Amino acid sequence: MTPLQELAATLRAALGADRIVDDRQELRTYECDGLAHYKVTPGLVVLPRDAEECALTVRACTALGVPFVARGSGTGLSGGALPHAEGVLVVTSRMREIVEIAPADERAVVEPGVINLQVTKAATPHGYYYAPDPSSQQICSIGGNVAENSGGAHCLKYGFTTNHVLGAQIVTPDGALVELGGAAPDTPGYDLLGAFVGSEGTLGIATRVTVRLTRLPESVRTLLAAFATTDEAGAATSAIIAAGVVPAAIEMMDALAIEAAEAAVACGYPAGAGAVLIVELDGPAAEVAAQFGEVRELCERNGAFELRIAADEAERALFWKGRKSAFAAVGRISPDYIVQDGVIPRTALPEVLHRIGEVAAAHGVRVANVFHAGDGNLHPLVLFDAATEGEAERAETVSGAIIDLCIEYGGSITGEHGVGMDKAKYMPRMFTGDDLETMHLLRCAFDPAGLANPGKVFPTPRLCGEVPRQHSATDAPAPAEIF
Amino acid sequence: MVDATWGTHDAPRDVLGPVAGTPAFDEHRPPRTDLISDCVHCGFCLTTCPTYALWGEEMDSPRGRIYLMKTGLDGEPMSDSMVQHYDRCLGCMACVTACPSGVRYDRLIEDTRAQVERRFERPPRQRALRAAIFALFPYPRRLRLLRGPLRAYQASGLQQLVARSALLTRLGPTLATLESLAPRLSAVPRPPRLVPAAGSRRAVVGVLTGCVQSAFFPDVNSATIRILAAEGCDVVVPPAQGCCGALSVHNGREAEAQRFARRLIDTFDRAGVDHVVVNAAGCGSSMKEYADLLRDDPAYADRAAAFAAKVRDLSEILVELGPAAKRHPLPLTVAYHDACHLGHAQGVRAQPRALLAGIPGLTVKEIADPEICCGSAGIWNVLNPEPAAELGARKARTVLDTGAELLVTANPGCLMQVAASVRRLGGDIALAHTAAVLDASIRNLGTDQLLARRS
Amino acid sequence: MRWSKAGSDDHVGGVPARYLAAPASTEEAAEALRAAAADELAVVVRGGGTKLHWGLPPRRLDLILDTHRLTGVVEHAAGDLITVVRAGTRLSELDFGTQQLALESPLPGATVGGALAANTSGPRRLLYGTARDLVIGMTVVRTDGTVTRSGGKVVKNVAGYDLGKLFTGSYGTLGLITECAFRLHPVPPARAVALCEAEPAEVGRLLAAVRAEQVVPSAVEVDRTESGPVSLAVLLEGTAEGVRERAARLEKVLGGTTGDLPPWWGTYPWPPDGVGMKLTARLSRVPDLLDTPPGTTVRGSAGTGVLYAHVTGDVGGAVERLRATAVRAGGHAVVLTAPGEVRRAVDMWGPVPGLELMRRVKDRFDPQHRFAPGRFVGGI
Repeated sequence: MTPLQELAATLRAALGADRIVDDRQELRTYECDGLAHYKVTPGLVVLPRDAEECALTVRACTALGVPFVARGSGTGLSGGALPHAEGVLVVTSRMREIVEIAPADERAVVEPGVINLQVTKAATPHGYYYAPDPSSQQICSIGGNVAENSGGAHCLKYGFTTNHVLGAQIVTPDGALVELGGAAPDTPGYDLLGAFVGSEGTLGIATRVTVRLTRLPESVRTLLAAFATTDEAGAATSAIIAAGVVPAAIEMMDALAIEAAEAAVACGYPAGAGAVLIVELDGPAAEVAAQFGEVRELCERNGAFELRIAADEAERALFWKGRKSAFAAVGRISPDYIVQDGVIPRTALPEVLHRIGEVAAAHGVRVANVFHAGDGNLHPLVLFDAATEGEAERAETVSGAIIDLCIEYGGSITGEHGVGMDKAKYMPRMFTGDDLETMHLLRCAFDPAGLANPGKVFPTPRLCGEVPRQHSATDAPAPAEIF
Repeated sequence: MVDATWGTHDAPRDVLGPVAGTPAFDEHRPPRTDLISDCVHCGFCLTTCPTYALWGEEMDSPRGRIYLMKTGLDGEPMSDSMVQHYDRCLGCMACVTACPSGVRYDRLIEDTRAQVERRFERPPRQRALRAAIFALFPYPRRLRLLRGPLRAYQASGLQQLVARSALLTRLGPTLATLESLAPRLSAVPRPPRLVPAAGSRRAVVGVLTGCVQSAFFPDVNSATIRILAAEGCDVVVPPAQGCCGALSVHNGREAEAQRFARRLIDTFDRAGVDHVVVNAAGCGSSMKEYADLLRDDPAYADRAAAFAAKVRDLSEILVELGPAAKRHPLPLTVAYHDACHLGHAQGVRAQPRALLAGIPGLTVKEIADPEICCGSAGIWNVLNPEPAAELGARKARTVLDTGAELLVTANPGCLMQVAASVRRLGGDIALAHTAAVLDASIRNLGTDQLLARRS
Repeated sequence: MRWSKAGSDDHVGGVPARYLAAPASTEEAAEALRAAAADELAVVVRGGGTKLHWGLPPRRLDLILDTHRLTGVVEHAAGDLITVVRAGTRLSELDFGTQQLALESPLPGATVGGALAANTSGPRRLLYGTARDLVIGMTVVRTDGTVTRSGGKVVKNVAGYDLGKLFTGSYGTLGLITECAFRLHPVPPARAVALCEAEPAEVGRLLAAVRAEQVVPSAVEVDRTESGPVSLAVLLEGTAEGVRERAARLEKVLGGTTGDLPPWWGTYPWPPDGVGMKLTARLSRVPDLLDTPPGTTVRGSAGTGVLYAHVTGDVGGAVERLRATAVRAGGHAVVLTAPGEVRRAVDMWGPVPGLELMRRVKDRFDPQHRFAPGRFVGGI
């Protein structure tokens, strides 16, 4: 019996047959997440119902030295939930109970498989919502959000998942259930919760998450501004930030992205726009009213040829619909595409956009740009047709060149999609060997056997060993010599 | 797709090994590769899929089913497990609405089902159950004979079939629900062949009377005809229309569906109408797809396309025409339920709401999670009683949460599914087809009759 | 690089150091720590010295690494709303014009590094978050002298582990923070403070009423001396018109007045040699923390559930009682600072979940347990 077969038998006996997937074809439906060009058929899929079952699964894996990968809704865009061929895929999609909505504590307790938007739906009747809103919020799970430290359009003002997670119960890679953080802030000891959020499943699996609920804003005003060029839209963005306004969101789409969104959801953006900005302000009505006028004026002054102000929730939803469906909508104008997720200092935006354009032109590929302009998080969509000889390779080249640009301008290789499998190879371009080794120290503290989501985040497999001896620094003079 | 770039890692080992057996699909209308490749695997469909809502499994989601189709095209055989996951699809098309990439899942699953019906040998019990269903439901006359379970069981030589397939245990609850909701048979006269427009004529329309609708809810057909006439339509009701083929097409019985479709096209062509009006969501959606169903039939392809273009849901045609007849007040709070084959398959959501909102005194409440199917789904609830009951219970809870007095929907299947589910929860709500509500308003009948038909 | 023998003031919680090092750059700091590693010296990092008496005294101490020369703003990219600052810089010396680092220290003279290492926070944490929310990148010299960076200079970044959060609040037990990148916020043009006094029993209702108003306060602070009424102060920041309108609404809700910041605002309630505690609770249970033992003053962020207490009299009993209350309220009670005899008598940290995992982290980052040994939770 292989370790996997042994594991399957153990788990089937312990959890019941309906928790286990080992049918060949069924396994294949799990072979990729939202980044579909990486495919690995998992050795086994387990669908635990609760934290105990999840912990039992991990313990069984550890006992046999079998690697495991956690997966929520499978919507990640970095291959973070790419299965391991000889490992177990632990899918949290059946752990979807909203345990508690506590408006008086401004928090909610949910299982990891709960969908992001469901938290908001459950909190809204109480006057609250869950602020992080990745574009996939109607389907992505809270567990996945925690693993990836998901952002979203509104994180410019409200921050990321890490700023909204107050506590988590996790299964550590040795199968123990551990509480990190809690109901109140500033838990004594190391901020392991802060380190866990965004660790992409390499430090364990979240089995219960306490999230902060945010009071619904009294007023939300949304404006759609059309510009002839992305330069103008970028200048308007800079002007808004320079004026000391912190909008809830500033989103930009270029002409190609607009074309795709129109094809998909008929969002009705102004015709002939080279770029649109969606600017949203929220907060107390008096504040929003005062700042909204300023934002309007700044858009006009920077060349907006059409301004639309959402008259009601329906119109606001339509503005956002085009933006939020943009990635998948690109499927309408191109057979294949790569979504990038680089970050640059916002002020470098116009320059970087031009250079992306140059790189794309040089390689004969089209790039559609959708991005969170407020915080410099670019989502260039590199379009190609895999059926055309060499196009996929050219698209990959352009995609890599964009990452290099982000690093060159002092930014990041990923703003919200995570490193996963896709960007592990770029990590050494952003971090030194020492930086990565330091991160690995944390990994080893949690997962000395390296069984939790191996092969992700870090560019090369590393072993932990026993608690390492510090290398002695023979070249440094001892204090006695210095005096 | 791009080949995976494994960075400095090794490419993963192939643990599955080569495929064995006959590939799942043959050359006759397999699920189309180009439609499959439209799926970018984003997962936006998952939460709207009723089976994913129930079980949280990838292979019982639209994305997973499309993936299974792809593996089938890649050579994986049509295994029991593959077929099971196709079978579990309710065909509600919520995923089509949710999909930002415009994947035609409706086309994909229909083509897949046709292949399954042709190429997959089901176990004998399943075969018998399906045979019994398709010997019964697409035939309004047989359904009428079934009215009253006892009478049904004794009549018409169906008895043997019923006993052999355990049909009664499966169909019993469905038929009992239908019967309890239906008005007494003698109370509703057969519709006349032609009803002239009240006032000046604005259109000539034909009306599809349907199978379940005509057998169990003939009053809905009467209401439909009266409303159309009141709104200025000459209404033609061809006799012996037969079935539209919806159930057949949704269950992969391609040839049977095509036979029904040709007959219906012939019938309405002879009637010479501007529009064919349908008051059952499932029928309307499949009639609008006739062009596709008969695309390979040279004698019918063009006629099917012309026919499909004439098909309108009742609410669509009424909104297109605009109100002519006076609406009288109905002081009611109603919850409107989107039948999947109206909302998702036909995109008709605004029209029924607009018509209801146009009735003085009537308030329309929205039901939470409107995109999720109630679990009726044609004959799905007969084939899958337990998960259907679970979906029904979820829907019933959200319906009851609205606090409405009356549930309005435009599909007989939904009506009986929600009715049975509300009853199981110990709740109580009145039920009506959109046509009945409009009819009551136009004829100034008040609310009593509408509130009489209860779960 | 300056090394010297430690002077009479160079002790931590009464434990004298042997050496003192004051690097002026990350490189110098790395050099010093490599040397310390070679000689297996026990190290405590010192910034402004304002919290050196917090926590427990180190089990052993050889070298105090002082950051007073590791100062200055490395970068202020106004258009990108970020700054990079050296760890020894005093928070009070930072001036970004129309922008601000929304990190306040209750203790004058505190450095950036010290505020991070001890995870202190001020009233406006309600709106802006704490150090962990404001840090976007960090340079740390590990215990063996290795220089390492995490995060970056852009606000949005999920590349690699967020080690900045791990080092924040780690009391110098994992390494030396030398440089930090922060996100900045615009300085709001106007502010107003809504004030009222209330009986302790009323506070819960008033806090809920403030939350219900959707006025997005920057801070909601309470102060209760011994047995008097509770003072409540709500800070509103924004445009002149907006602030006026919001303050007027709160005035009505609280039945109070609009004025300026009260004198106790943003300070700890204990005197230099007093017993100071940090109490936390879930929001709805904040009023429980105001029901204090005799001789106790409580103050702090009612809007986030983080209060501070000055305990006098029967300290042992009071700590126990406050801890029991806090734990019941879903929080914790930590004795931040106390005279030596109290420290030895009470459990400073109380129960800490996940301690085993924390020890494993410590073992990896500081296998010889040379950095601030014993000062942190569970004897870490």
